Amino acid sequence: MASTRNLWESDKKRKKIQADRLIFIILFLAVPLIHLLIFSYVPIIGNFIVSFTNWKGFGDFDWVGIRNYKKLFSNTEYISMFKNCLWYLLAAIPQLVFAFFLAVIINGKFRGLNVFKGILILPYLLNGVIVSTIFIIFFQNNGSLNAILGAFGLDALQHKWLQDLKIVNPAIASISIWRYYGMNFIMFFGALQTIPTELYEAAVIDGCTKMQEIRYISIPFIRKVLLINIILSISGSIQVFEIPYIMLNGSNGTLTPVIQIQQSMYDNRVGFAAALSVLVFVIVLIVIGLQKLLTRDD
Amino acid sequence: MIHESKLYKVVRYVFLVLASIFVLVPLIPLIFMAFKTGAEYSSSSVLDPPVNWFNFYNFKYALKVGKLLQAFLTTGIILVISLGIQILFTCMVSYVLHRFDFAGKKVVQTAFTLTMFIPIVATQTLVFRMMHAVHLVNTMWSVIILYSGVGIVGIYIMLNLLDNVTKEIDEAAWIDGASYHYTFWKIVFPLMRPACTTLLIIQGIALYNDFYIPNLYLNSNVQTFTVALYKFYGSMSTPFEIVSAAILIGMIPILIIFISLQKYIYNGIAAGAVKM
Repeated sequence: MASTRNLWESDKKRKKIQADRLIFIILFLAVPLIHLLIFSYVPIIGNFIVSFTNWKGFGDFDWVGIRNYKKLFSNTEYISMFKNCLWYLLAAIPQLVFAFFLAVIINGKFRGLNVFKGILILPYLLNGVIVSTIFIIFFQNNGSLNAILGAFGLDALQHKWLQDLKIVNPAIASISIWRYYGMNFIMFFGALQTIPTELYEAAVIDGCTKMQEIRYISIPFIRKVLLINIILSISGSIQVFEIPYIMLNGSNGTLTPVIQIQQSMYDNRVGFAAALSVLVFVIVLIVIGLQKLLTRDD
Repeated sequence: MIHESKLYKVVRYVFLVLASIFVLVPLIPLIFMAFKTGAEYSSSSVLDPPVNWFNFYNFKYALKVGKLLQAFLTTGIILVISLGIQILFTCMVSYVLHRFDFAGKKVVQTAFTLTMFIPIVATQTLVFRMMHAVHLVNTMWSVIILYSGVGIVGIYIMLNLLDNVTKEIDEAAWIDGASYHYTFWKIVFPLMRPACTTLLIIQGIALYNDFYIPNLYLNSNVQTFTVALYKFYGSMSTPFEIVSAAILIGMIPILIIFISLQKYIYNGIAAGAVKM
């Protein structure tokens, strides 16, 4: 009798523990998951639907098929804003190279290390409005760049950097080198520090030069982080917003897709803004898919 | 490293000094400008230092006209509430994902991972209409709610830490009759503090500097510091010496945080990145 009773009791206890467990799991996940649904997944799916309508953001709407998408691909102004993104992509190359060599060179122990680390991280800590102001002062007609060029007698190189339509996009795209290299630099630096020092010691014994060391130890070891940074730069350049928006409000041919999305929202062209959002999303997805494909063997 | 040649040491310093110049040159005219008078600004070169380094007129003016103190307060409230919620929820989600097996776990994990691929702009067209419908636009609650979500980078940082907290601690507590809640809140959660610091720093910098969301949702009555700075551009001619002063004021909290937490910033961001 006693043993049956114990069994029954322990069965009841087990069931209670299982119920407690389930309640605990649900309680811990519910709010974040609901947040995720409402603010990420519902809008993404909703965007896709709205992109086939002429919804103004309020009131009734009509289905317009792929008209919003057609508009995107037929208007040269809209096509040129995607071309503008290419300048930012181009700027990412020197940005990554600079950040990488900086990380390699600072990875060690020497006098002044912390001072340099402090200075070099500074741009990463500044917001978009600060960076924009700094570079308005830098690029304006009587700004620092022209003053420096003048001081070195290079007057021929002076330009109206922010007004000349041929130069304005590469000029402001180059700002992203200054602004974002710090992020890449810290990531590379962190990755380099995970390399066991024995590898370098072995390299010394084998008589490797510094360049060989970088080529055969550093780069292969942090390959994955390098790739992540390349992907981040590509998907970042399609989403450029702050610098051209704050400095020039997207004028002088510096329009980007995200600025256009915001302007369309303010103009109550929500259907069109949604179509453009879907396009940006699809491009980012392709880039990320590419990364997954490339890192599949890891 | 023992094998560094003399040449390499010289090259290293040259490279680092050049890199520092690259960083500082655009910044220095801004510092000069904050101390110049309006007339001085238009008559002198941007590369000339100010005549009077104790001219604090621009700072006073920026604080008053830009409502900067109010903006700091708003930013502070938004950051404290949303970072608190975000970090707490990140700990909870990560703990459940790390320690329990349950039906639908894979779906939950994938749902969080996929958000990394969703550009924030691609959602805001409709989220803005939602916030508008519930009358949260132009209140700080819209921003707080959006900032309170659990991100995948945070989850990675927490999972990484939980790998180093043995599950035997939990099991011992359960055998002693502790509830799931007691085990988490009293035993495991306190052990997650280092990862919380890391996340606090990464997200603190990101949210303090965010422009897109507050610019979209807030107006001049309630504004974060970045939006308050941006408002200086609203007037027809931007008085640069005033904006420069406002910016220097805005850099103070960041520099203080940076100087006291430099070690954590480097380790934290690197930790998040390596795990990605």
